[in-house]
Amino acid sequence: MTHQRWFGLTRAWIAVVALVLPTLRSAAAEGPQARADSWQADLEAGRHHWAFNKPVAPQVPPVHDTAWPLGDIDRFLLAEMERAGVQPVADSSREALLRRLSFDLTGLPPESGEIRDFLADSSAAAVDRVVDRLLASPRFGERWARHWLDVARYAESSGKETNLPFPHAWRYRDWVIEAFNDDMPYDDFLKAQIAGDLLKHSGPADQARKIVATGFLALGPKGLNERDRRQFQMDLVDEQIDVVSQSMLGLTLACARCHDHAFDPVTQRDYHALAGIFMSTETLYGTGAQLQNVHPSTLIELPSGAGLPSALAPLSAEEHARLERQVDDLAENAQAVIREAAAARAEGKEPNGTATFLRVQGARARLSSARSDRDQFHEDGSPRALAMGVLDRPQAVDSPLLQRGDVDQPGETVPRGLVEVLCAPDEPTKIAEGSGRLDLAFWIASRDNPLAARVMVNRVWLKLMGEGIVSTPDNFGIMGAEPSHPSLLDHLAVVFMEDGWSVKQLVRRIVTSRAYRLAAVHDDANHAIDPDNRLRWRMDQRRLDAEAIRDAMLAVAGTLDVSPVPGSPVARVREDRQGMARLVASLRQEPAFCRSVYLPIVRDQLPEFLAVFDFPDSSLVSGRRDATNVPAQGLFLLNHPHVVALARSFAQRVAALPDGPEDRWCQAFEMALGRRPGPGDIAAIHAFRADVPAPSAERANGAAQAESRALVAYCQALFATAEFRHIH
Amino acid sequence: MASVDRATTLGPRRAFLTHAANGFGLLAYSALAAEASERATTGPLVPKPPHFPARAKRVIFLCMQGGPSHVDTFDHKPRLIADAGQPAPAAARRGGRATLVAPAWKFSQRGQSGLWVSSLFDEVARHADKLCVINSMATDLPAHPQAFAQLHTGTAQFIRPSLGAWTLYGLGTENQNLPGFIVINPPIAAARAFGSAFLPAVYQATRVGGAPRPGLAGRRPGGGDATIANIASPFLDRAAQRTQLDLVQRFNASRLELDGGTSPDTEGVIESYELAFRMQDEVPKVMDTSGEAVETLERYGVGGDDTDAFGRQCLMARRLVEAGVRFVQVTHGNWDHHFNLGTALANTARQVDRPIAGLLADLADRGLLDETLVIWGGEFGRTPHGQGADGRDHNNKGFTLWMAGGGVKGGMVHGATDDYGYEAVDKRMHIHDWHATLLHLLGLDHERLTYRYAGRDFRLTDVHGTVAREIIA
Repeated sequence: MTHQRWFGLTRAWIAVVALVLPTLRSAAAEGPQARADSWQADLEAGRHHWAFNKPVAPQVPPVHDTAWPLGDIDRFLLAEMERAGVQPVADSSREALLRRLSFDLTGLPPESGEIRDFLADSSAAAVDRVVDRLLASPRFGERWARHWLDVARYAESSGKETNLPFPHAWRYRDWVIEAFNDDMPYDDFLKAQIAGDLLKHSGPADQARKIVATGFLALGPKGLNERDRRQFQMDLVDEQIDVVSQSMLGLTLACARCHDHAFDPVTQRDYHALAGIFMSTETLYGTGAQLQNVHPSTLIELPSGAGLPSALAPLSAEEHARLERQVDDLAENAQAVIREAAAARAEGKEPNGTATFLRVQGARARLSSARSDRDQFHEDGSPRALAMGVLDRPQAVDSPLLQRGDVDQPGETVPRGLVEVLCAPDEPTKIAEGSGRLDLAFWIASRDNPLAARVMVNRVWLKLMGEGIVSTPDNFGIMGAEPSHPSLLDHLAVVFMEDGWSVKQLVRRIVTSRAYRLAAVHDDANHAIDPDNRLRWRMDQRRLDAEAIRDAMLAVAGTLDVSPVPGSPVARVREDRQGMARLVASLRQEPAFCRSVYLPIVRDQLPEFLAVFDFPDSSLVSGRRDATNVPAQGLFLLNHPHVVALARSFAQRVAALPDGPEDRWCQAFEMALGRRPGPGDIAAIHAFRADVPAPSAERANGAAQAESRALVAYCQALFATAEFRHIH
Repeated sequence: MASVDRATTLGPRRAFLTHAANGFGLLAYSALAAEASERATTGPLVPKPPHFPARAKRVIFLCMQGGPSHVDTFDHKPRLIADAGQPAPAAARRGGRATLVAPAWKFSQRGQSGLWVSSLFDEVARHADKLCVINSMATDLPAHPQAFAQLHTGTAQFIRPSLGAWTLYGLGTENQNLPGFIVINPPIAAARAFGSAFLPAVYQATRVGGAPRPGLAGRRPGGGDATIANIASPFLDRAAQRTQLDLVQRFNASRLELDGGTSPDTEGVIESYELAFRMQDEVPKVMDTSGEAVETLERYGVGGDDTDAFGRQCLMARRLVEAGVRFVQVTHGNWDHHFNLGTALANTARQVDRPIAGLLADLADRGLLDETLVIWGGEFGRTPHGQGADGRDHNNKGFTLWMAGGGVKGGMVHGATDDYGYEAVDKRMHIHDWHATLLHLLGLDHERLTYRYAGRDFRLTDVHGTVAREIIA
């Protein structure tokens, strides 16, 4: 794509984003001409918005203290600090740095042996070696996939009112994990999610994976009980525009559908031109017809020979025959019910219309559900490899321009595609064939796009440093925040692209910086100048996210099962609401030992462990998470049976250590918190051991039992500390 | 001045913990418990004097999530009824395609005051003379997440403290063994609406009935059970647990010292544990409704098919404010009636009508209503014109919210929308104005309730807000 063409694209993006400019509101009241004039002015102003200009590698600034920086990132940061009169604090301790790296890169605490090795390695390359090890670990992909899954509003059910399971959503989850582990170039990663079905492939395995990637577009929340077909279609398209624009471009384009103030006609066309691309796309999410589902959908059968795993075990011949019989029986039953109803109506005696309707619907729903269950398998009982995803419709269509996004108010038809939305009016771009998704994918994942790389480097920075360079990771528009370090952001974006869009390389660059190594300590003088640490004079203390807290507890307790989970429990429930209810109940009762990324994410039915520690709403794009410290978490850690069970496992592990009791307790401290206890900690341990009261019944059972009980209470206390759930 | 320097507020407590961690030996459980209660009288949650005498000491906010239709409930629009079926006016910008829809429910004048209320709220209407109906509410955006955030924090654009957090920061709370700010049945993903943002974490809301599945409010009428999750230990008795918690707190204090003595996160954890521990005793008492008279339960609709869930939550709200909780919010959804307005709105209203009437009556009988401000409202209203076959769209420029008790005039209407109910035209009350008025009723000057953060003083009302003095009794 030429630079010139890019200019056109930029201009149109501005047109869309400028919708939210408040000035439009007053202009709207003044009539069309005033609006048009004002629009031009806004367009001019918007063109200067920093995010709509391509990042150009900036000059690395000079610094006074040349000994401090380890690389260019540090030079950009230090230059600003020196200007403001702020002094970076000292580096953090080696233990703290290792713990920080381990959690940030893999979501797990360092093991005792790893701590020993790192402390023993006094060479200059010690940090690099640890970073290489962590980046190569399969745990890296599990950790970083979850960050993307937040942004991709990943979940395994349809959400909203009906909330039916998406039994095949997990394939997308696994694809994302694999992509991060393989360090798939980020531009390819984006292209596959928008148009994987249309991309060239190297064979069935590659093709299957690329189709799975399009699950991104299919797994959004859906109002399956919406009765108006066109409304459902437009809502689906709108959700796709929303997730693509927020996650990949940091723009909230979906605002253009229903925003209250007057739209510039060009802009309305933009939205609907883009909408045409998705209307020409068939979204397959696989939910059978149900009472509350008037929009059943099928799935994509993946090419045979793809070698992808299945969530289901093969059926025996009898089992398969039983499923077939069930379908036949229910089909017969449904026909009988319909015949009866028809006969009753013909005779003019229809005692209760609603009851009859519900009977017919119920019979049909049971049949549909049984068919869905059966259709999971081939004739020979082997499970079919199915996936959610999108395909081009046989016939591409254009969207009518809908007044206020209302399907009842269609206006003129807008040719779909890049023509109006992405390009200047005098540079019409034809969509050569199909929906236009391929064009969209290549445009978004382009080096000429000013947003894609910036948005991603900012996401990565935010996860590693605790705050983004742009503090609104999903909004780089005019209503978003200004970058704290614009040059650094551009530097990172350019380097990221030059590194072949390698996320691992980007992570490596950030975590091997001096800024990343700083201690998370307070400093009065710096605080007086920069209380928010915008200048990065220290590391922020950060609360771990829910998954890392849970995984760390399991890891420390020795009960974490790191083998990847095949499929998901959601894949094995019956495709009806009872199946869903049973699943939710069992998830609440039974402890699980897999990594949190493999826990089933049913919309609005989150596992308690995750919900209590601010897991985001999986119906929304979430580039950042809340990090609260509230009594509910304290109560959970002190009182939840699963936490007590983990403390017992941890205590058993500690009791089996070869050292004496005193050393064992200190060892446990290190296992949980990644450092040796300090004098204050040891005093606290002594006091606790001297004073821990045991109920009299226990005391009668002897000292050993009291000691073991105290150890469990101690292990639980370690889980409960503020330090356990924070990185410093 | 309620603007408090956080360092001094938390100072004594930090000194204690640091001292304890440095080890003057372990205090006996009883001594620690005494210490805990003493700390509670100096902590950030102790009652603080208001700026001026308060009319309301407590708040119950009945938050109707989704945007209840004002033109079908409390904003009587004869012209809308007369002109039903005609095209929506040009101002609605529907290109003449949408038509005005009359409410399907009859409005009548109720009480001595003759307040107009539709038959959807027959029970609440019995208390018409207690209601101050604000028909001129306005908010910036007609989108749920933004408007819900603005309703609670004043802004959709930034992460800011919740109304309840500001209240707690300004006034503290009367019962140190219960959270001062409780949200019953909070909707999912609305953490920011109940959060403390830059205020100390101890001011954020504690959720009730949300833990295992946070917030079915938007998705299922009634929502979860009104309990606080994990309120008792399956493992340790209370004394042993206190000893365990002392260990945790000493570790926390020693960590705080490592970090240079200042760490909002660690301090937040320390505070949250003390509160959690005290809650374990107090919450079961407050939550136990077995001592309530049968007539009281009936009043709230407890046991009724439609009214049981919300009735229990309203009863819980009364018990909580009675126990000294400063700010209680009960969220009820879903009022987002794009479809099936005729049946769905009636169903939704039926779920709350009786419980709310019961709450008002019960508070009045107990002498609590004078000092308890009850608020009913959602993030916006709905369009006077129809949407689809049987629905109404979002309307942010004019909608209704009412208040009762706590120093507001009863039986009055404040402000008005235009003839059809699109836009507030008389005594417009933007969310900022409502917040200013609400704080005023609580004895707080919205311009003086500030918190210094990142080098400047922040307010709930930013640079806006006018107190509506006409509605104050």
